[in-house]
Amino acid sequence: MTDLAYLAQRPGAGEPRAYQFPPFEHRRLDNGLTIVSAHLDGRPLLAAQLILEGGAGVEPAALAGVTALLARSLPEGTQDRDAVAFVEAAERLGAEIHADAGWETLVATAEVPRRHLAPALELMAEMVLRPALPAHEVDRLREERLNDLLQAAAEPRRRVERAFSATVYAPDVPYARPLGGDEETVPRLDRAALADRHAAILDPRQATLVVAGDLSDIDLPAVVGAAFGAWKADGPLPIREPLPDTAAPRRVVLVDRPGAAQSEVRIGHVGLPRRIDDFHAVAVMSVILGGLFDSRLQRLLREERGYTYGIGAGFDFRRSAGPFAVRTAVQTEVTGPAISDTLGELRRIGTVPISSEELAEARDFLIGVFPLRFEVAAQVVGAISGLVVHDLPDDELDRYRPAVAALTADEVQAAGARHVRPDEASIVIVGDASAVVPQLDVAGVGPIEVVAEAPAPAVV
Amino acid sequence: MPGPDPDVPTIRFSQRRLDNGLRVIVAPDGLAPVVAINLWYDVGSKHEPPGRTGFAHLFEHFMFQGSAHVGKTEHMAIVQGSGGVCNATTYFDRTNYFETLPSNQLDIGLWLEADRMATLLEALSQENLDNQREVVKNEKRQSYDNRPYGSFYERLIAALFPAGHPYHHTPIGSMADLDAASPDDVQQFFRDWYAPNNCVISVVGDVDEAAAHGSVERWFGRIPANPGLRRFESPTLPDHLGAEVREVVPDTVPLVRIHVGFRTPPFGSAAFDALEVAGQILAGGRGSRLHKRLVRELRLAQDVAFFSLPMVSGASVCAGWVTVRPDVDPAEAEAAFMAELERMAAEPVSDDELARAHALIESSELAALGRVEEVADRLSQYATLFDRPELVNEQLPRYLAVDAAAIQAACAGVFRADNRAVVTFVPRGGDQRDAEALGADAADDVEAVA
Repeated sequence: MTDLAYLAQRPGAGEPRAYQFPPFEHRRLDNGLTIVSAHLDGRPLLAAQLILEGGAGVEPAALAGVTALLARSLPEGTQDRDAVAFVEAAERLGAEIHADAGWETLVATAEVPRRHLAPALELMAEMVLRPALPAHEVDRLREERLNDLLQAAAEPRRRVERAFSATVYAPDVPYARPLGGDEETVPRLDRAALADRHAAILDPRQATLVVAGDLSDIDLPAVVGAAFGAWKADGPLPIREPLPDTAAPRRVVLVDRPGAAQSEVRIGHVGLPRRIDDFHAVAVMSVILGGLFDSRLQRLLREERGYTYGIGAGFDFRRSAGPFAVRTAVQTEVTGPAISDTLGELRRIGTVPISSEELAEARDFLIGVFPLRFEVAAQVVGAISGLVVHDLPDDELDRYRPAVAALTADEVQAAGARHVRPDEASIVIVGDASAVVPQLDVAGVGPIEVVAEAPAPAVV
Repeated sequence: MPGPDPDVPTIRFSQRRLDNGLRVIVAPDGLAPVVAINLWYDVGSKHEPPGRTGFAHLFEHFMFQGSAHVGKTEHMAIVQGSGGVCNATTYFDRTNYFETLPSNQLDIGLWLEADRMATLLEALSQENLDNQREVVKNEKRQSYDNRPYGSFYERLIAALFPAGHPYHHTPIGSMADLDAASPDDVQQFFRDWYAPNNCVISVVGDVDEAAAHGSVERWFGRIPANPGLRRFESPTLPDHLGAEVREVVPDTVPLVRIHVGFRTPPFGSAAFDALEVAGQILAGGRGSRLHKRLVRELRLAQDVAFFSLPMVSGASVCAGWVTVRPDVDPAEAEAAFMAELERMAAEPVSDDELARAHALIESSELAALGRVEEVADRLSQYATLFDRPELVNEQLPRYLAVDAAAIQAACAGVFRADNRAVVTFVPRGGDQRDAEALGADAADDVEAVA
């Protein structure tokens, strides 16, 4: 046997190379459109996002899903060409151009090789400013959304997410409902509703275009001006009101799936908005609790107990308070013990001191992976878009690593004590009620509401 | 149309082989202060003997359970505490392990990989075996059993390769086989396959080329080779199935979904390249043929898909599906799906379709080659499977050289009724007569060999 004793000596780290989030600059077109650009050496696949203020959070509740359906309908034909001609024009450029709705904004995205940036931005402008919203395409996409709701109800992971949002938020809170609308509201969405929604959000003074990648020798103001310069503002600027984020009382809800091999479990409550003073402490606390591969939850439920393939926990930061959730799928037979173990860790994160090893690993992880998060243009655009959506200062990303590095174990534990509230945490399960209810009774989680659902409808 | 994109990067790399057989590839790239380490072991589910299915994947889990100088769960903790990410995957042809780290942490990553290559067995315990067996069973429940249509992959693969063929079972394997696994079995698997002469390591990123070669030599150079390493022999297999295989699966699904698979020439062949371009034209987005025809024009489908699975030993697979709208006759949707495949075989694609497919493939290559983790994986892949890491720069030109005639010929050779498996998922509790009309025989699982 060769001598392998040298392996006993664990190597240390070398001198780290400096890293800085790519610098970016702001400009404004005469019509009020803000342009933010970041030049990235050697990144010829460019990314661009046009962020329009006014997401699904501010749409009329009776028309829930209208912003999401609008986003999907934007590439389905413009005043200049039909849906197929539009997508083919994008494909000839090697470009992917589409739009997505979020709670706060509607975002149009393009990824394109740098040599085709100008025509790709022209197509993006055509899609956003001059969509045709043809009735026959809107009708088709509406039917597809209704079919997707059927599919989502059958998929345990999607079913549990919908039930979780509806459980933790008060019923009239937008975050309580599916972003794409539900069985009641989606049938009401037609071309006219989409056109109204489109008119309401189309204001260049509230829009930002973020572009990143290798921009050398590209006259970006000229290219953007040619595409978006004719876009005109109209009327007074609307006032931006924060969305309500009222919590509902704690509940235990079990959606029955007789015979399910696993229980999909969500445990949590209304969490936090993005703009909070202790954001960095919450980030470190979250990865210790349920973000790292060897987080407290993973160590106990996966590596010790073998209950699950994986368990995670974290905050979904939105403009108003998004949800805090533990997410896992566990074997049916151990659902009760798995929930007890999880609740135990939620209690411990605020009460048991963070060890120096835990703090060092979480801190060094978040600091070390920071450059890995911004390797390609689309990631850089995504990060800058986050600053725009949450109205954060330009140096927010430069502050991130020093702020994380400065945290103490006490500050991290305090964030857990303040923001993780196991006694208020609802428990939502999609699983086999006959097997799981007796386990929950043993675990003593309180009264259980069992939701019986018809099996998937017969087809043909 | 313009010519090839001048911005597509050329990956510059150097390679050498250590005395113990380890193949080392280093590609410096200073764009970001990060480094990707990627190891391909030439062992996958195809190497598993009968009664031992799922072992390659179970073994992958052990590689994170510690080694002589790394404690249980410490591997991940060290990588994350060094500011990195890591993972591993198991496939038919190989198992890969990879981490991406700040570039000043290169040595810690190499040390972790070397320690488990050299000393894994010193940490293997019955307790770890029992624990990871449960984790893997939960992985199977989560990824396959508790997911609508979740068994399609196992069923299609079993239909496309006959019982006894190394590709007949998928990497997740049989839970009964895993239950039968003993620590001795797992140790033997390690001794058989985990050795420097059955491995390629690629290092890509912000490193000095000579220094990186030196570091790999320092950490791996003294790990002994396995002198008795066996070479995998591909059994011969006919080019085609010989007869269509059909299966109907009642499942808790709201919409009928028809999965279709074909046996194809292997990954690495010109025909396989042509089928990948064909897949782009058939289902590579909202401008593709299947989407245009079935989703948009005829409104038969909720969604469609078509893709290839790269496999090298004698044959490979391409497959797709159509999810049928609620009020539509599944037979009509299946006929329309097959008609689009047959049209690919009957007539050449247009110049414009081909140009659009090429442009999209070129963009996706730009995206892939911009990530050190992906470049490292491809270098290891091409070296392991084809002894040709140069393919990292040659694959795109190969796709761009695929012409309409090549696509038509490849499709004509593959998209044949006697070469396909059709697995149809129908809502459980639906009208039994409908299930019968779709071709179901008795309620048993069809062992899908023609």
